[in-house]
Amino acid sequence: MRRALLEPYQHQRSAIHRLLAAVKVGGALAFVLAIVLLPRAAWTAYAAGATLLLLLAWLSRIPPAALARRLLLVEPFALGVALLSLLQPNGLMIFAAALTKSTLCLFCMVLLSSTTRFSALLRVLWRIRVPSLLVTTLALMHRYLFVLVDEAGRMTRARRSRTFSRDRASAWRSSASVIAHLFVRSSERAERIYAAMCARGWKT
Amino acid sequence: MNALEVRALGYRYPDGTAALRDVTFAVAEGERVGLIGPNGAGKSTLLLHLNGLLPEHPAPVAAVHVFGTPVAEPHLTTIRARVGLLFQDPDDQIFCPTVWEDVAFGPQQLGLGDAALATRVARALDQVGLKGFDERLPHHLSRGEKRRVCLAGLLACEARLLALDEPTGDLDPRGRRELKGLLDSLPVAQVIATHDLELVVESCPRVIVLDRGRVVAQGPTAELLWDEKLMLAHGLERPHILRHRHPH
Repeated sequence: MRRALLEPYQHQRSAIHRLLAAVKVGGALAFVLAIVLLPRAAWTAYAAGATLLLLLAWLSRIPPAALARRLLLVEPFALGVALLSLLQPNGLMIFAAALTKSTLCLFCMVLLSSTTRFSALLRVLWRIRVPSLLVTTLALMHRYLFVLVDEAGRMTRARRSRTFSRDRASAWRSSASVIAHLFVRSSERAERIYAAMCARGWKT
Repeated sequence: MNALEVRALGYRYPDGTAALRDVTFAVAEGERVGLIGPNGAGKSTLLLHLNGLLPEHPAPVAAVHVFGTPVAEPHLTTIRARVGLLFQDPDDQIFCPTVWEDVAFGPQQLGLGDAALATRVARALDQVGLKGFDERLPHHLSRGEKRRVCLAGLLACEARLLALDEPTGDLDPRGRRELKGLLDSLPVAQVIATHDLELVVESCPRVIVLDRGRVVAQGPTAELLWDEKLMLAHGLERPHILRHRHPH
């Protein structure tokens, strides 16, 4: 399940998947810019954007439920920001517009990341001269996300196999210690990765 | 010229614990040497000295020489290209998004042009039997494949001395057999730190026994590993395979 969320369906081969990564990144960027710059009440344009995305989603042949799940995962952040606008005068309209705009943008990104391999995305970012520190950070994050998820999974399973009570408080306590351990292990791993990089000629 | 010379190497961890004491040995060009000893003997620490990752504050006179070059500051780039260090956990070593990029990392640091880089990476991947793995993602590889990607990364730098930390640890029999065959086929000097005594018997004509940071014995593998008293005294044992082989 977690795997599916992190790396969904990138291996599939639809027309959308086969499209050049650079084209997809460019298209997504243009789409997001357009949506952001649209006037607040351009509902027809929003609808057109949504139709376009749905059409692309259909063409990509990714199960709709999977896309929806990923979108829901990031939606709370958009909702949180949009909720603040309710406090202004004419708040409801601003809220609806902000929520629509960010949902469309997020859906566009979900679609992009679901149909493009992360390594291809990184290569595009690299080529269009996104600061290399940022690209390297993204690359390392993506690489070790999986290692970390696996490690957390193993630790949680080991913890659970020695937990005999259903006490909520102790469950919280043990999760906290798993997180603390994970933090220590990650920082140790970071040191080893750095050593391994140096061993292959990385210069600071 | 020896591939590696270590003279009276000592090292203390920052907390003061002595990790290596008066370690002296040499490895000839193209020679394979086993480095064995109990957990915590200092094997990994020793390997980290071979390309200058340790000590943090180098002594005025280098204790380690690689192909005659002292492992010290002005030469570290050259040294690190020559000495390929294989880390215990392949996930520490493979940090790039794809296999190709990871194998290319070392030569890229050496400033190779695109064409030369592509040739080197292709050759290294071919050497370890991973042709066509260019675009694979590291987290989709098996343990054995990860190990081989790590090894390809070192070969792509044209390393002439490999320092291998537990290369067969946690591999299944097939992965182990394939890796062993691969190591045997490489014509470069190798220091293999391992608990896999059968690997040592089969692949390394000479062995160094390390315990509590000291070299307690070094010599022909069959002779030392046959010595049950020596083996048991240092957390090791006489490998089964020797019983069928030794002339005694």
